[in-house]
Amino acid sequence: MSATQDRLVLAVPSKGRLMEQTTELLAAAGLNIRKVGNARGYRGEIEGLANVDVAFISASEIARYLKTGRAHLGVTGEDLVREQMSDWQDRVEILKPLGFGQANVVVAVPQCWIDVRVMADLDEIAVSFRETHGRWFRVATKYLNLTRRFLSSRGLTDFRIIESLGATEGTPAAGTADFIVDITTTGETLKANGLKVLDDGVILMSEANLIASRVANWTPRAREAENEIIACLGL
Amino acid sequence: MVAETAKKFEALELQAHKLMSVFIKAGHEAVAPAIIQPASVFLDVIGETLRARTYVFTDPDGEELCLRPDLTVPICRLHLERHEDPTTRARYCYNGPAFRFQPSGSSSSHPREFRQAGIESIGAVDLERAEALTLVTVIDALKAVGLTDIKLRFGDLGLFRALLDAAEMPERWRRRLLHQFWRPQAFRNELKRLTTAAIDLPRDAPKALLAELDPERPSDAEKRVARHLDAEGIEIVGTRGVAEITANLLSIVADANTKPLSIETATLLEAYIGIVAPARAAGARIKDLLREKNIDIGPALDAYHRRLQLLTEAGVDIARADFEAEFGRTLEYYTGFVFEVVAPSLGAQSPVAGGGRYDQLMRQCGAAEGVAAVGGAIHTERLLAALTGGV
Repeated sequence: MSATQDRLVLAVPSKGRLMEQTTELLAAAGLNIRKVGNARGYRGEIEGLANVDVAFISASEIARYLKTGRAHLGVTGEDLVREQMSDWQDRVEILKPLGFGQANVVVAVPQCWIDVRVMADLDEIAVSFRETHGRWFRVATKYLNLTRRFLSSRGLTDFRIIESLGATEGTPAAGTADFIVDITTTGETLKANGLKVLDDGVILMSEANLIASRVANWTPRAREAENEIIACLGL
Repeated sequence: MVAETAKKFEALELQAHKLMSVFIKAGHEAVAPAIIQPASVFLDVIGETLRARTYVFTDPDGEELCLRPDLTVPICRLHLERHEDPTTRARYCYNGPAFRFQPSGSSSSHPREFRQAGIESIGAVDLERAEALTLVTVIDALKAVGLTDIKLRFGDLGLFRALLDAAEMPERWRRRLLHQFWRPQAFRNELKRLTTAAIDLPRDAPKALLAELDPERPSDAEKRVARHLDAEGIEIVGTRGVAEITANLLSIVADANTKPLSIETATLLEAYIGIVAPARAAGARIKDLLREKNIDIGPALDAYHRRLQLLTEAGVDIARADFEAEFGRTLEYYTGFVFEVVAPSLGAQSPVAGGGRYDQLMRQCGAAEGVAAVGGAIHTERLLAALTGGV
């Protein structure tokens, strides 16, 4: 490892609104991020903080970095943290909700299911559905773990999760799933696909958070850098 | 322990050889179904709870496959592949690995790779005889390798089904209670719901529409639901069509118009489920319970006693067997008699063998209808541990 290994690694989203809002928020706190190397680079530093390396990576990758301790601090959604770590409270600490990137992870079923409004209704139709179609319900989602945990905690065990890596909201119409668990901000995409959110089907209200890894190598220099960042952010 | 799976391999193989020769002598054909199985059979049939414990993967063709979490489903598939008529009588035996995820920190008597040796008996017409024979063969095999100090646990889902059939309630309530039997908490909630007068009406279906729906005239109801969806501009999305949605609305309407389940019936069902007794005494307990309520489940009780009789005649010490009405609740594919063999040194949490009747599994694996089938499997690592002391 290089000599920089005892520095603090701050993982920041590498693209989209999430990156813009993160850099704006940090800049407002006096923490100006500067990319190192070419403009497309994936590494950066914070002006005036000698002990910080900034890593630009995707939000889901950030959750993995925090989980394994490759990053000390990171900005990512609570949905990804909870999905990727069954023991997230042992691995990370949520330092501060950042007030952007709000989205809910929800259970959504076809609007035409006018006989279904709550999770208990789903459980009730599971039997007749299986008698008619010879299989259990299929639920499409990219949140395999969140879905499994939520449905079992609601007593719903007769389902099968289908992993979906994109366009989850289209799977009921396509016939590959019967209902879905997905992330939504306004619910418009769900509506456009003929879906509705169940009354008690909000699994998680997520937003972007500043998160600290508990399993990273917290050297004195890294700890010092963390304190400087936290002081700037007014935590 | 995880890194080394073959440590006791030779000892296990030697033991398995003895078990298999007992099975073969009893008329079972040795077979070796594939270890890698299509995931959908397990996951669509058995549900997500097993998926959480099944190693599932996708091959380069995008096929979803799994490492078999047990051998009974693979044997059903093997049987269906061999025989055009799934009711063809056959007796199989096997010895081989099965795989189940275990959370970290699980005891060493719950390894994620384990070897099962077992038997399946398919298509036998005399049900109790086939059940007794299965258990006797498993016990004989255990004896052949030296395990004689055993206890037995019995359950009988046939008794519960007969009780539901005899109790007064609409058929769809029976189906629901039978379905919920696997989940004690949900079962209690369902009983409570059925004994309460107020049944929630679905909030997305307007009262005016529900009032128009007549359970006696389903096709008229279907038209009305279709018209409602059309008027609201709601598209039909997905597998559940108007007919299915209407059928559910009708059953909700029917429930709302039906007299709630009597408290007496609910109490009776709960009292039955609570029964734990020596196998011999349990029959009398059940009979007494039902006599007070004037409910007769004669044939199911006769079958229960006949099975005990056959076991006794075959030399099984029934005094060592307990009956638990609730037993079998965790194994969703069993439909009738269920059993476990416990070695006192390992305890009831780690039975050395178990099995039962699974008459619907063949249908769930693709047969046109259910086929009478009963089987039993030995957890060979535990058996070896029980014999050598220590796991």
